[in-house]
Amino acid sequence: MRRIALNGLWAHKRRLAGTFLSVFLGVAFLAGTLMLGDTLQRNFERLFGEVTAGTDAVVRSTTRIDDDAGPGQRAPIPASTLARVRAVDGVAAAEPSIEGRGTLIGADGRAVGRDGPPKLAGNWIADPRLNPYRLAEGRAPRTGDEVVVNRGAADDGGLRVGDEATVRTPEPVRVRIVGIATFGSSSGVGATTFTAFSTAGAARHVMKRPDAISSVVVRGEPGLSQAELVARLRPALGSGIEAIAGDRLAAERVDDIDQTFLDGLRTVLVAFAGLALLVGAFTIHNTFAIVAAQRARESALLRAVGATRRQVLGAALTETALLAAVASLAGLVGGIAIASALKAMFDAFGFALPAGGLEVSATSALIAVAAGVVVTLLAGLAPALAASRVPPLAALRDAALEGEEGGASVRQRRSLTALARGARAGGARAGGARAGRSRRRRPLTALVRGATALIAAPLPRLRGTVGTLARRNAIRSPRRTARAASALVVGVTVVTAITVVGFSLQRSLDDSAARSFDGDLAVTGGEFEDASLPPALARELAALPQVATAVGLGSGSARVDGRNGVYANADAAALSRLVDLDLRAGSLDALGRGALAVSADEAEQRGWRVGSPVAVVYPDGARATLRVGAVYGEEGIAGDVLLPRAAWERHAPQSADRTIFVSLAPGVGEAAGKAAVERVAERWGAPETQTRQEYVDAAGDGVRMVLSIVYVLLALAVVIALLGIANTLALATHERTRELGLLRAVGQTRGQLRATVRWEAVVIALLGTTGGIVLGLPIAFLLTRLGDAVGIETFAVPVAQLAIVLVVGGLAGVLAGVRPARRAARLDVLRAIAAE
Amino acid sequence: MTAAPSTAPYARTAPPPGSAVARVVGATKVHGVGDTAVTALDDVTVAFPAGRFTAIMGPSGSGKSTLLHCVAGLDALTSGEAYIGDTPLSRLSDTQLTLLRRERIGFVFQAFNLVPTLTVRENVTLALDLAGARPDRDWLDTVIGTVGLGDRLHHRPAELSGGQQQRVAVARALASRPQIVFADEPTGNLDSRSGGEILGFMRRAVDELGQTVVMVTHDPLATAWTDAAVFLADGRVVDALDDPTPELVLDRVRTLGG
Ligand SMILES: Nc1ncnc2c1ncn2[C@@H]1O[C@H](COP(=O)(O)OP(=O)(O)OP(=O)(O)O)[C@@H](O)[C@H]1O
Ligand SMILES: [Mg+2]
Repeated sequence: MRRIALNGLWAHKRRLAGTFLSVFLGVAFLAGTLMLGDTLQRNFERLFGEVTAGTDAVVRSTTRIDDDAGPGQRAPIPASTLARVRAVDGVAAAEPSIEGRGTLIGADGRAVGRDGPPKLAGNWIADPRLNPYRLAEGRAPRTGDEVVVNRGAADDGGLRVGDEATVRTPEPVRVRIVGIATFGSSSGVGATTFTAFSTAGAARHVMKRPDAISSVVVRGEPGLSQAELVARLRPALGSGIEAIAGDRLAAERVDDIDQTFLDGLRTVLVAFAGLALLVGAFTIHNTFAIVAAQRARESALLRAVGATRRQVLGAALTETALLAAVASLAGLVGGIAIASALKAMFDAFGFALPAGGLEVSATSALIAVAAGVVVTLLAGLAPALAASRVPPLAALRDAALEGEEGGASVRQRRSLTALARGARAGGARAGGARAGRSRRRRPLTALVRGATALIAAPLPRLRGTVGTLARRNAIRSPRRTARAASALVVGVTVVTAITVVGFSLQRSLDDSAARSFDGDLAVTGGEFEDASLPPALARELAALPQVATAVGLGSGSARVDGRNGVYANADAAALSRLVDLDLRAGSLDALGRGALAVSADEAEQRGWRVGSPVAVVYPDGARATLRVGAVYGEEGIAGDVLLPRAAWERHAPQSADRTIFVSLAPGVGEAAGKAAVERVAERWGAPETQTRQEYVDAAGDGVRMVLSIVYVLLALAVVIALLGIANTLALATHERTRELGLLRAVGQTRGQLRATVRWEAVVIALLGTTGGIVLGLPIAFLLTRLGDAVGIETFAVPVAQLAIVLVVGGLAGVLAGVRPARRAARLDVLRAIAAE
Repeated sequence: MTAAPSTAPYARTAPPPGSAVARVVGATKVHGVGDTAVTALDDVTVAFPAGRFTAIMGPSGSGKSTLLHCVAGLDALTSGEAYIGDTPLSRLSDTQLTLLRRERIGFVFQAFNLVPTLTVRENVTLALDLAGARPDRDWLDTVIGTVGLGDRLHHRPAELSGGQQQRVAVARALASRPQIVFADEPTGNLDSRSGGEILGFMRRAVDELGQTVVMVTHDPLATAWTDAAVFLADGRVVDALDDPTPELVLDRVRTLGG
């Protein structure tokens, strides 16, 4: 039987090409994404290892206050720690390190890296062996207004050595770029921007006080182990200050990258690879089902000759397993290409990923291949079982290739069988043969048949006979049509669900902004609302005669009730005059320094009520216990927690606003007001000023961007789905050889034949797309109900987008039909009519 | 079945009786190359005159189907020339040949003559529909009446008997009013009664509708319906008979060893 399986595989290589391709693509994408993850991880490890190679120990605060999404931000330590460290025996060199935020303004007047990467500022560490950055050009900063920037930021902002620029820390600082640096061998850490002042400059602009630093980096005497150095440092440090070994620092940084970037990336990519494989499974199943049907006669012959059912099943499964293995292994190889391509794509988008070759871990390879084999086997199981169930007698009959359920091209010779079936149907319906058929028609089949007929209804009028033929071909075997479309259904369901959920979220954000924002203008730091606007800007705007009120909404890292995160802060009383926070309990007017406001959801989750105590750790490490002073319902703008600005300002050296809300004085027009605000903002690094409408519209922009990335990733699943349609048509063409030959003999031109196949493809694709949309809508509805927590309040159907999806689906059908159409048109008329 | 109307209007559109509607000159066809080369036609020259019903006979493998395919523009000759009317086929492109087939030639094969997804009526008008031409209603009624399918027009082929299917095929071949109809063993799968009906229809198409029909057959009895018989053996024309009778034909067939 193994020989039969092998021969079968070989004989049907053409028909199995589509299956091979879908397994191959799915596995390749999965392997590629896993490998990309491996590679990035390895390369980051190498990079961080390299840049911390000279650092034997780090002395820093034990209080960490950043959330997972930020770089390892900790409370500062006293500057005097430096002297104490230097005094420790075994310390060869120790340098202060100051780290904070700073937005570099590029030559075009816009913030460098405005699309979201962290924008860091700090001091240039004088000892090159302790500095992770290396000077590539120019020199180190000497005075307070000289800076070195990393290569990626300089390139992105069009800045060169010698240029003047502005850094917002958040107050705008005029600086001169004296040097350009690389992070180890890379032009930066991802797309993160880094601006380095002299230590004195950093103390003034970033830390904003001379008596504090972020950490001390230490190099030990030669021959002293890192552990030993740490042990010696420890007794010299005050409480709340720790020393850790350099290699642990590298590991921590890798972990940070893992958590903030790699894990998310990997999860997303693998999810899409999984989806591609799932869609592929439908394609595979479909192909196997058709091939099994086409070989029904062969299977029956084997059975008639004496093969047991198990042997037939075995042969079919062996064939499937072989295909699965070969395609999966090939997919693994393809994965290498995909990983390289993905990496190149990230590079092209300005994500400076560390250099280094591809890393293929055994685990990733194993996962990818195993997934491919298992999925293929599962998809092939049912058709193999069906093949083994073919009765030996079938060899003597015409095998009905297309399984014309509900159609009527069963050959007359078999009317006896049909009659028998009709009799079994119980005479409930008159007309023997027809009743027999309709009994076999399952509801789903009837549905598919009806839907296909409906979709294809305009074809005959549009394209005459060609249209009629395409339509009838699409209807003639509803089950096959359904199977062919199923892969696309899955893909489009996901597309629809994501589109609708995304749109609903966008709409909710827009709505929430529209509902709560009562002002006239909003000044924002950037598209991702980094807090980078100096608080002084709000004050200066408020002083304008055209402006009635200007209130800043800030945000920053802190720990609230034991949880690190980025939290909003504002003068709640002033804010509530421009933003309707939907007060539920307490009062926003007198939070002072000792009270915070929380959203109703958060209060419910934590069991807080007005008056509850909440522990807070501020960026400077100060601890305080605040009371809940107010509970509000509108979380769209302020989020879950609103800390009091009065307290925040004292404890956050780089207190900054992410949005300044402005209401204009009576009688001032929007345009005039905007012009006045822009004139002031100009001097502060030109943040964007939006009218109320612009602000509302922009609220959902982030979602829009995420959606476009998601679509790119979904494209692969759709391509695999199209392969399924192409494959079905190719196989159908093969079955219909005789019929096509007849049509050609009678006078159908090649062009007409091609059009027939193409239109059938379009019908199937439209069926799949419609099915996906119909299925995706209720799923999206459920998701939006569940998505209440992330701020989805409305269920909105983006009719225009879905219409585009439908059109794209139809066009994709044209594409899927190209190859089978061409093959059908190449058909040799004589061969076709002579075919047995 | 409706009575066939006068043949006069149709007879006028056909070429004058006696002139060749289709012919091959020095036709040679070699299948395959090298060791496996088979000479299916070997310097055949034959003409099929207008308004006549010609039978092609010969033993299996003698090249009958090949001749038919070549003269109908389905296959290309290795050397020599085939003509439909005065058009030499070797100069035509695939598309031109297709258009020629759909406008000027009708086909009836031994089996699988009909597109399963189309109704009887749609099958009959297929060539016309493909050409985007309006069927001539009178002619269509005549043809459908002649083959007696008036009550089956909206059935699918699978709902017809083999004989009925062949009748639809004949109707289809005639529907576009071709200059010539080629039939390759059209009765090969039928019992003698159904076969007789088909032959009768083709005879009427020639007599009453002024058509020209060329038919390959193995059945000496079938030649009784024809005006002439051409005998092939080993790819050559070895004999021809006018107004053949089954006895004469049987006699020839025996001597040819078919
Ligand atoms: N495509 C082909 N390739 C190779 N040889 C072929 C091909 N078609 C026909 N032949 C050969 O050409 C010769 C003539 O074949 P043809 O089909 O014309 O015979 P025929 O007279 O129609 O026979 P039958 O009565 O059995 O239908 C035969 O020897 C046949 O084997
Ligand atoms: Mg033949």
